[in-house]
Amino acid sequence: MTDRKLNDKIRRAFEKATPDVLDAVLSECNKKGQGITMTTTRTKEKDRWIGKLAGLAACLCLFVGAGFGAAAYRVNHTVDATVSLDVNPSIEIQVNQKERVLDVIPLNEDGKVIVGTMDFSGSDLNVTVNALIGSMLQNGYLNDRANSILISVDGSSQTRGAALQGRLTAEVNKLLQTDGFNGAVLSQTVVQSEELETLAAEYGITRGRAQLIQEILRERPLHTFEDLAPLSINELNLLLSDTAGAAQLEIVGTASDKGYIGEEKALTAALERAGVSADAVAYYEIGLDTERGVMVYDVEFTAGDYEYDCDVNATSGEIVKFEKERADRPAGVTSPSAGGAPTGGSVSETDAKALALARVSGATGADIVEFKQDYDDGRLIYEGKIIYNDREYEFEIDAATGAVLDWESESVYD
Amino acid sequence: MLLFTLTTDAKAIVSGEELDSLLYAVATENRDALERLYRRTRASVYSFALSVLKDPHDAEDVLQEAYLAIWRGAAGYASRGKPMAWMMTITRNLCLQRLREREKTVVLPQEGWESRIPDPDTLSPEDKTILRTCMEQFSDEERQIVALHAVAGLRHRQIAALLELPLSTVLSKYARAIKKLKQYLQ
Repeated sequence: MTDRKLNDKIRRAFEKATPDVLDAVLSECNKKGQGITMTTTRTKEKDRWIGKLAGLAACLCLFVGAGFGAAAYRVNHTVDATVSLDVNPSIEIQVNQKERVLDVIPLNEDGKVIVGTMDFSGSDLNVTVNALIGSMLQNGYLNDRANSILISVDGSSQTRGAALQGRLTAEVNKLLQTDGFNGAVLSQTVVQSEELETLAAEYGITRGRAQLIQEILRERPLHTFEDLAPLSINELNLLLSDTAGAAQLEIVGTASDKGYIGEEKALTAALERAGVSADAVAYYEIGLDTERGVMVYDVEFTAGDYEYDCDVNATSGEIVKFEKERADRPAGVTSPSAGGAPTGGSVSETDAKALALARVSGATGADIVEFKQDYDDGRLIYEGKIIYNDREYEFEIDAATGAVLDWESESVYD
Repeated sequence: MLLFTLTTDAKAIVSGEELDSLLYAVATENRDALERLYRRTRASVYSFALSVLKDPHDAEDVLQEAYLAIWRGAAGYASRGKPMAWMMTITRNLCLQRLREREKTVVLPQEGWESRIPDPDTLSPEDKTILRTCMEQFSDEERQIVALHAVAGLRHRQIAALLELPLSTVLSKYARAIKKLKQYLQ
């Protein structure tokens, strides 16, 4: 297990162990929170606002002086908000302050299919959204098995942006309820952030989708951005639904999981693989997750002296990961995974070390500070750590094929 | 039908920049911001307090006192870019104050560290092993370093500054603790 994964586990364990004192804190704030410090703050805020108002007044005078013609031109031709629609097609709509469309830009190949030859310049935003949603339904991008759409609003004014978000959500919601089709609408205001810009550019997705992925990552720290970037909005929505209790989200329904086998079948498949009867299960957890871009049911259960962790392909029911470990094993004892003998290794330790070192230019065998054999899903692997030039590299290498299964690098000071 | 409304405020608190903005909102007496800040960071505050005090009742008191101190002191927050380090400094000061009040150095807890866990059923066997190892097998400094790095997300340099330890000590103690934990998890 890498240090990063272990840190995530430590954090989650402490999160569960933390008592909730929020009510007491808020009640104390009511009693004592209006201290001297806060009064000072209010005064400062007020002063700051007086300054801002004076500045604003000066700006207004200049603006009026410049003439109403220029003002009208700017209102009509300046992008006031950008609305992006993501399903799998990603489309960006730029609107002016009057919510007239300035441009509609398809951001991927599916987006081009949806926009086709339609020209929306000067159209009302609602009319445009209506046409685009209609096209998504008609082209089968929104259907019973993938019913989720993400609306992201990035406005120059937060108030107008929030209002626009509310109206669009209601409008799209209404559109997706017709004809017996139950859609799912996610909406958000995009936060200005350099990190989001970079991620969106790197993965070729909208900033809205990048923000949604970050939201999910907060609740699923074991995943990486890369894991989630290829997923559709419906798949992301399912991951979000599963963790929504922790996030401050308003939920009015559910994303479609009609394309999947369901939790019951997934559990049955996992128990069959383990050779364990349902009666023997002492405790289990099951939920949708993703593994290397594929949706899976993550089934964890304990039976007898063992803990099992199993990933079942959510569409096919195939077992894609299976781990069995003795619960509370004494330190230093490593047990192979269940399901018979582990796959033997044909890659020697020396070869595995060479494979890892080949990735770190300049490092030698002396820089390998940890190296051992372990089992992952019945497969023999090499696990190790290289420290070189103030960087730490952790790796897992398949002992049968030499494939690098996991590779992480970070500064030793992090 | 499903309808999420993710407002700006509900955005993930993953960066110092975002924690910064929550703290500035708390400084304007925004209770929603305090609640959001609390939900995002309470495990960091509690785990660090517990790692110093080793008594769950005292740690819970410090958890409460820390957010009151943050509520009152947010207006004076000036450590732009290092919000978590600022919050951990507050927590550490409250812990040290409590230790002084006890008029003794760190003592063995009267009750087990697990006595204040809100819902023990949610802990998996692995969670229990992790908590037990952190609380019972780590040295005081190892425990504090692991809480600050793994739970609060502080960098080793920041931990060294906060605990007034050389960076090399923080790095080696962290490595030793993690190695120990891996052994117990095997």
